[in-house]
Amino acid sequence: MSRGGRHTYGALSVLAAGALVLTGCSKGGSDSGGDDKKQQQNAQRQQALIKFGDEKASTGPAAEVPGAKSGGTLEVLQRDSYAHLDPAQIYVADEGALATLLHRGLTGYKATSNDGSKHEVVGDLATDSGTTTDGGKTWKYTLKDGIKFQDGTPITSKDVRHTVERLFAPFINQGPTFLQQWLADSPGATYRKLLKDGPYKGKHLPDSVLSTPDDKTIVFHFKTARPDLPYALAMAGYGIVSQKGDTKERYDKAPVVSGPYKIQSFKSGKSMVLVKNTNWDPKTDPIRHQYIDRFNFSFNQQYEASTKALLADSGADQAGISFNNQVDAGNLSSVLRDAKLKSRTVSGYQSFVGQMNINMSHKPMQDKTVREAIAYALPVTPFVRAYGGTDAMEVAGGLISPTVSGYDAAFDPWGKKKKPAGDAAKARELLKKAGKLNMKLTFGYINTPEGQQYSTAMAAGLKKAGFNVQRQEIPAETFYDQVSKLDNNYDIFHTAWGADWPSASTVIPPLYDGRVIADGAQNYSQINDPQINSEIDRISKITDPAKAASEWEKLDQHIVKDVINVVPTAYYKQTQIAGSKVGGLVYDDVLSGVDPRRLFIK
Amino acid sequence: MLRFLVRRTLGAVVILFLLSMVTFVLFFGVPRDPALLMCGKTCNADAIANIHHVLGLDKSIPEQYLIFLHNLVMGSDSFAQGPCPAPCFGYSYHSNEPVWDTLIDRLPTTVSLTIGSAVFFLVIGIGAGLVAAWRRGTVVDKVATAGAMVISGMQIYFLGPLALALLVYQTHWFDKPAYNDFTANPLTWFSGLLIPWVILSTIFAAQYTRMARSSMIEQLQEDHVRTARAKGMSRRYVFFRYAWRGSLIPIVTIFGIDLGSLLGGAIITEWTFGLPGLGQLSVQSVFFSDLPLLLGVMLFAAAMILLFNIIVDAAYAFIDPRVRLS
Amino acid sequence: MTSPIDIEGGGTSVVVDGEAGPSAKAETVQLEGRSPGRLMWMRFKRDRTGVISACVVIFFFAIGLLAPLISKLYGKDPYTVYADERPELFDSAGVPVQPNGGISGEFWFGLEPGNGYDVFTKLLFGIRTSLMISLAVTVTVVLTGILLGVAAGYLGGRTDFAIGRVIDFLLAFPAQLFFIASMPVVVSLFVSPRDETPTYVRVLALIIVQWFLGWMSLARILRGTSLALREREFIEAARVSGASSWRIIRKEILPNVVTPLLVQATYLLPSFVTAEAGLSFLGVGIVEPTPDWGQMFSKASTELVMQNDITYMFFPGISMIIFIVAFNLLGDSVRDAFDPKTAR
Repeated sequence: MSRGGRHTYGALSVLAAGALVLTGCSKGGSDSGGDDKKQQQNAQRQQALIKFGDEKASTGPAAEVPGAKSGGTLEVLQRDSYAHLDPAQIYVADEGALATLLHRGLTGYKATSNDGSKHEVVGDLATDSGTTTDGGKTWKYTLKDGIKFQDGTPITSKDVRHTVERLFAPFINQGPTFLQQWLADSPGATYRKLLKDGPYKGKHLPDSVLSTPDDKTIVFHFKTARPDLPYALAMAGYGIVSQKGDTKERYDKAPVVSGPYKIQSFKSGKSMVLVKNTNWDPKTDPIRHQYIDRFNFSFNQQYEASTKALLADSGADQAGISFNNQVDAGNLSSVLRDAKLKSRTVSGYQSFVGQMNINMSHKPMQDKTVREAIAYALPVTPFVRAYGGTDAMEVAGGLISPTVSGYDAAFDPWGKKKKPAGDAAKARELLKKAGKLNMKLTFGYINTPEGQQYSTAMAAGLKKAGFNVQRQEIPAETFYDQVSKLDNNYDIFHTAWGADWPSASTVIPPLYDGRVIADGAQNYSQINDPQINSEIDRISKITDPAKAASEWEKLDQHIVKDVINVVPTAYYKQTQIAGSKVGGLVYDDVLSGVDPRRLFIK
Repeated sequence: MLRFLVRRTLGAVVILFLLSMVTFVLFFGVPRDPALLMCGKTCNADAIANIHHVLGLDKSIPEQYLIFLHNLVMGSDSFAQGPCPAPCFGYSYHSNEPVWDTLIDRLPTTVSLTIGSAVFFLVIGIGAGLVAAWRRGTVVDKVATAGAMVISGMQIYFLGPLALALLVYQTHWFDKPAYNDFTANPLTWFSGLLIPWVILSTIFAAQYTRMARSSMIEQLQEDHVRTARAKGMSRRYVFFRYAWRGSLIPIVTIFGIDLGSLLGGAIITEWTFGLPGLGQLSVQSVFFSDLPLLLGVMLFAAAMILLFNIIVDAAYAFIDPRVRLS
Repeated sequence: MTSPIDIEGGGTSVVVDGEAGPSAKAETVQLEGRSPGRLMWMRFKRDRTGVISACVVIFFFAIGLLAPLISKLYGKDPYTVYADERPELFDSAGVPVQPNGGISGEFWFGLEPGNGYDVFTKLLFGIRTSLMISLAVTVTVVLTGILLGVAAGYLGGRTDFAIGRVIDFLLAFPAQLFFIASMPVVVSLFVSPRDETPTYVRVLALIIVQWFLGWMSLARILRGTSLALREREFIEAARVSGASSWRIIRKEILPNVVTPLLVQATYLLPSFVTAEAGLSFLGVGIVEPTPDWGQMFSKASTELVMQNDITYMFFPGISMIIFIVAFNLLGDSVRDAFDPKTAR
């Protein structure tokens, strides 16, 4: 080739590049509309009160789902494979949804309405939701007749004892710890001392803690009143484990189940098949159904992929659903606006509330004016934006989410709903008044793409108000461990908390009780306020759930408005979609997602 | 030949051994405790210590390394998660699956991606290069060379998202790329990987076009080729019979290197298209501080690179009889 | 470039071995007194493609260098969150409401989806960051390559063997995976994990990991060159005349490896630019809000951009293609100018 030739190439290169640019025109906006209207509609749906059911309410079988039919195979598209199948290791929502099909516990939530908003805690394996005669210190449970594991062995109080005792074994470290802490009457992780090796080295819990006088009776003894025990026992993490079939660590891949379905095959990261458990007797179960013959799970289905497959609604996907995948951010607004899809989608709140913690152990943060300035200045829009806009996040006023009883939609002390981008002017004024302009503010952020995005914009907003913001990245995988260290560098950091059961008693005490401040505990802001502490003690003793709920909300408003150790940011929302042949589609507020137990194939 | 293979294989084993050591040291240089990830909500010093014990992280680093080597060669039955026959890399911290099974599980994706795009880029790349050399100086040559020039300035991380945006997100002509089992349905396997193949091979093809063209032209200048032409052989005959063979050597070299590194996991490609291959696995192993998995993918990727180096060198002997393996 | 030089009539071949004066083939007139460097420069000036590419490359370095000045004149910086400053330009997910990514007289290249940074200044500063890093990597790699390559080639024997084995070993590393795995380690060498990671530490870490696996090819080439030079008479002569090894390397060998060095360096730099961008694309390099070419690609590959604002991805994309192509063409021209006989 000649030299002139090479010049031609240069020209051609530029032409080719230009051609690429021409294809790159795009229209503006992300196809979303009617944001404000939707926000109001959503806020109307909130948690109704939950009561503890008696023996009658706890008797099976469960009320028929209207129009339900038996038979068929349901395709379940899931993003993440299940890491844990051992009930004692189950805490996260994905596995919790699966557990409703596999594992049974002493108690459970029975839906009392067909829209997933009303529930009652009833006896599941037990005959009722539990009886106490001394205000919650002693709880007695009696097992039903005819309850069996998948291998046909009857479930006895020995299995319950074993289930409780193995919670103390060192390898159980992922599940909830309420019951263990209550039995040991100690917060944090010191409960493990009660039974260091679990039941595996011949030691057992003494009768003064847990007694099983006969094959059917279980009695829990607590030193402090625990009126919430029926809620706690309904958690998937306290599902029954077979003493005979316990394989310790290996149980996590192949548990012996007691629910309506059993695992036929499980290839981690690929697929899972559930089939009917013939040893499950519907007459013993007030909660679950067994309409579907078979569940085919496939994993690694990203949100976009599952949404697209279910939207297409063809072939096997007509009877397809995802228990936990949401409609992806890209498709969300168009799905929500499509009237034809209304019967195939469900929307609701997740239990999480986002909050910016202000680290009270740091001296500069103990100045209330500074905290007020942070509360005014903090822009919430970056957070909403990073997670897909107002279809996925709703600007929060208080700390109690719409899924928890007591929620007050009108509460908005810092004007976040009107001025979600923050009020820098007002904050600047406050800072000036306190003589703290340009004070250093260290912001620990989670190192995910979203975290990077919202933290930089939040920092920019705080800078405008006169803070000297220092952002520090924290690896996503260890974020919560780092911010829950008492001695950490961060003045402010963002966390989210979801209630373990729909009562503010699993929100306010763990997060804001000054007496539980410890390394790894969830009082992230390290607030130790005598008034909060005494209010927690007072409200915890209230036995009327309705009264308790309204008192919790009052305390919530006190914390947000007067103490200002946290600034609420957003309530998490989600939308899910199913194929056209899926019946019984309901968003369950307790599960924070589709209720798998009610599904059937049309 | 046999001696050559034995010698090179031994060399490769030594390198893998050293690499495993480096990876080990590197891992413990990360200021992040894998136990924290597995510790759950109520984490305290005891729980961490227990996890360390279960994972064997409470032992000294040299001791852990020896255990790793022992398990690799002999297998082990002492894992809490289950048995682990040789070659045993242990169980992943994150998924609790045997690392070896995970590697084998992810391999088909990476192999499909590699083989598929290799076919594309060899045919298109070398084809374009040969045509350009054959019709040297014409418009065809110029277009091919200029095209190769521009494409070689492109990167997967631009072309990949661009293709996704145009073909998947804007026009919905294609589904998002995915790996589907070939044995289950060859058609979905093909359609799921089509975009990654085309994009990956486009970028590789540019390199092959330039190389095939220049080495072909170079060969045509060689004395023996000129002599053949002077003797009256047809241009076509000389082109394909003499020059082609000589121009193969650099192509084979680069192809071997490319194949080796692709089989070890095309990280950016798999990341861009969300394909669950070895490349994606390796990134996950770093993000989750998953030592057994990291060692597994690192050694596997290096083994592929070394294997193909040996294959390339051995292949020389077949292509060019003048090369003697020593 | 394959054309034999006598067809083009563009001068003579450079003699790199330090012998006096080029032995001209046809035009013997006027060639005395011109150093190889001068000849190279003359040849290069005559190469239009080379000159144009050089201008493009210089342009990129210039805008990188002048980015702060340009952004001052333009009146914006790449850190302002326009999504909060000018919320009317965005929807609630942070996508510019106006078509084509919000390109307007005010925002020449539009606004970045998400936080709404100004794309024009972001690109300028991004180019600045990327070029700075790549230039530093190139310099360190060249120095290491000279040191180890020349040492191996000239000293031979055990040194050669040792360096050769190290090179073999490092070449077997899965480079990208190694970069990803070692970035956090290198970062932690400089800051305790509890402190903020300043941008310069990330930059330094990127330089170090890329240097670590970047020097081998250059060292190999220089080893070959110096190995050949070692046997040449003028080196022999220097040795006999009692010059120390150090002096021979400095005075005789180094001037003669400048050619392959310069050529290789012009090829290496763009490859470091793309590798650095690749790391930032994967999220282990430079992170938001520091502007960086690769970080812009990472943004461009998010669903938000692919779905709603395809315009955005062309700014980093096209600018990088132009840069890489120009640099590669420049590399070819440099090589031709030095040694017109080299086949391509």
